[in-house]
Amino acid sequence: MRILLVEDYLPLQKSLTKGLRESGFAVDVTGDGQEGLWYAMSNDYDVIILDLMLPRMDGLSILKQLRVKNKNNHILILTAKDTAEDRIKGLDMGADDYLVKPFAFGELLARLRALMRRRYDQKCPCLKIHDLHIDVASRRVWRGDEEIILTSREYMLLEYLAMRAGQVVSRTDIWEHVYEFNSEASSNVVDVYIGYLRKKIEKEAKPPLLRTVRGQGYILGA
Amino acid sequence: MWSLRLRLMCGMIGGMVVLLIGFDLIVYHIISRVLFNQFDASLESAARILSASVERDDNKLDFEFDVEMVPEFTGGTRSAYYEFWRNDGVPIRKSPSLASDDLIWFKPVNHPHTFRSFVMNDGRPIRAVAVNFLPRTGKNNPNAADSPQSLILVVARDTGYLLAQLRFLKYLLSIASIGAIGLACAVAAVVVRRGLAPLSAVAAQIDNIREDNLKSRIADEHLPAEIVPIQKQLNSLLARLEASFERERAFSADVAHELRTPLAGIRSIIDVTLTRDRDAAEYRSALSESLSAINNMEAMVAKLLILARIETGQMTFNREQVRMAELVNRCWCPFSGKAAAAGIVFENHLNSALVWKSDVAGLSMIVSNLLDNAVEYTDRGGRIWVTARKTDVGTEIIFENTGNQLTGKQTSEVFGCFWRGDSARSNTGVHCGLGLALVKRIIEALGGSVCAESQNGLFSIRIYLPLVKNGL
Repeated sequence: MRILLVEDYLPLQKSLTKGLRESGFAVDVTGDGQEGLWYAMSNDYDVIILDLMLPRMDGLSILKQLRVKNKNNHILILTAKDTAEDRIKGLDMGADDYLVKPFAFGELLARLRALMRRRYDQKCPCLKIHDLHIDVASRRVWRGDEEIILTSREYMLLEYLAMRAGQVVSRTDIWEHVYEFNSEASSNVVDVYIGYLRKKIEKEAKPPLLRTVRGQGYILGA
Repeated sequence: MWSLRLRLMCGMIGGMVVLLIGFDLIVYHIISRVLFNQFDASLESAARILSASVERDDNKLDFEFDVEMVPEFTGGTRSAYYEFWRNDGVPIRKSPSLASDDLIWFKPVNHPHTFRSFVMNDGRPIRAVAVNFLPRTGKNNPNAADSPQSLILVVARDTGYLLAQLRFLKYLLSIASIGAIGLACAVAAVVVRRGLAPLSAVAAQIDNIREDNLKSRIADEHLPAEIVPIQKQLNSLLARLEASFERERAFSADVAHELRTPLAGIRSIIDVTLTRDRDAAEYRSALSESLSAINNMEAMVAKLLILARIETGQMTFNREQVRMAELVNRCWCPFSGKAAAAGIVFENHLNSALVWKSDVAGLSMIVSNLLDNAVEYTDRGGRIWVTARKTDVGTEIIFENTGNQLTGKQTSEVFGCFWRGDSARSNTGVHCGLGLALVKRIIEALGGSVCAESQNGLFSIRIYLPLVKNGL
């Protein structure tokens, strides 16, 4: 899942980026309001974490611009402004969630997972495709009773495909939602990781879960 | 302190009592005078009749009136008395009503007749008139006029009845006055209550004003003209209070906001670090970043503390000779590395003889904040310079730098707490918008002033303090 973090206070920006990446998110970061808007307009982020007081363009202006231009990204406002008026204003302007600083990092992760579920119309925190179980909170995967150990990138790929289970997912979509802006662009990278994932989740005695749709992409669980 | 209601009541009733007592005394005095004058006139008339009835004939006195014709001289409850004396005080004749008593003999002094009040031996109060007269001369003593011998006649009447009338008048006036005072109390209570009703209404409105509804004002409907100035003053006070509370609230919100951001950074660093086991270098890095954020917070809290101490007058300043050129050079040292890295040129044009008599710590804080600010906002490769200029009122020191992007309106706001050119918080704690606010408060506490200007890409701050020795 790909996140845009727009936060100008450097210690917070650095620690959040590190924590989010370690939690399996692809994270693009900026501390500048105008740059944040440009990032948001250029990519299809699953969630945008937006500070309100930013240099050059404040968070509410970014939010307004995105909604005016029909960008439907889920937006979580992360700010020190804590009054009821501030929260109401932020949510009424189109934000999906509002978290006041200081906050527990675990709460931020939980809210991000909730926003992800909403984005992909999921209600259950556990994804289930046939006998494949994914616990999104603990980031653990089972096929039947056997737990499958995945790398962070493999897990991100599987979670994205599972969120869109039954749909054909193009390589471009995978690239946009699993890889960061500065990642080295290569169409092979997606194929290579799909190969790694397939080796781990497919079992000889069980029906295949991940299929390639020639010329279009991949489909999980159909 | 007496209530206004009590004061008005006491004033009105007290005034009424004094007026009534005065009125009673005047009425009593006038009536008393009238009655006594009438009494005296009747005494004088009786004395005139009696004196006219005396004739001297053959050196004998002939009293020609018949006492029986005037019953009051014969005795009774409302008796009258008379007594004739020779001029030397020898009694000649007296009225039967005196029986064995005598009237007091007294002579008229400087007047044909004199009145006097006294008490008879039996305790009866009487009033008498003494007349000095010459008896008529009879036919048988035509030459008597040649050797006139005057007589003294004292005519008196019992004044008991008159005094009883006056006592009755006194009681009547007293009862009427007490009744009037009672009525006045009731009327005063009603008048005062009605008169003070607008004040009570204003008091009730003030009572309803709480800290959370300072926007409400005292209505001026139905207020008498005397209360309107008070209502206006109170509304003006409320407006000032509201503005003050609003400033206080905004300041508290700003402080909370400024502390929350670095706090969020520290918490996030610790939270993320604790999500898994890490090597020593990573822990060291996390602790170092947290410490840096804490240092920034500490710097901000220190500035807030100085501001609070200045506001509450707890900051004490010394007065000593401060060589400003040396002070500016000393304050520049901590920023010289950062300025050099950004290619910023610094020039101190102050004359080494320029001396201000002030607090060296306070001036150091001012200069350090101004230089810190200048280094932060001067463009790369720009210039900062410090000069002095003589003015009509002394000498001012000017800090100028290039790279200014502030508008005129923004420049006028730079001395506000937590004000920044844009909404960036990337340097929270270090540049949280307190530096220039602190400069203004300190310099004003030192008895000076400060102003900011921006034009043509230059930003300048002028500080002025009372001058001791001008080294320009």
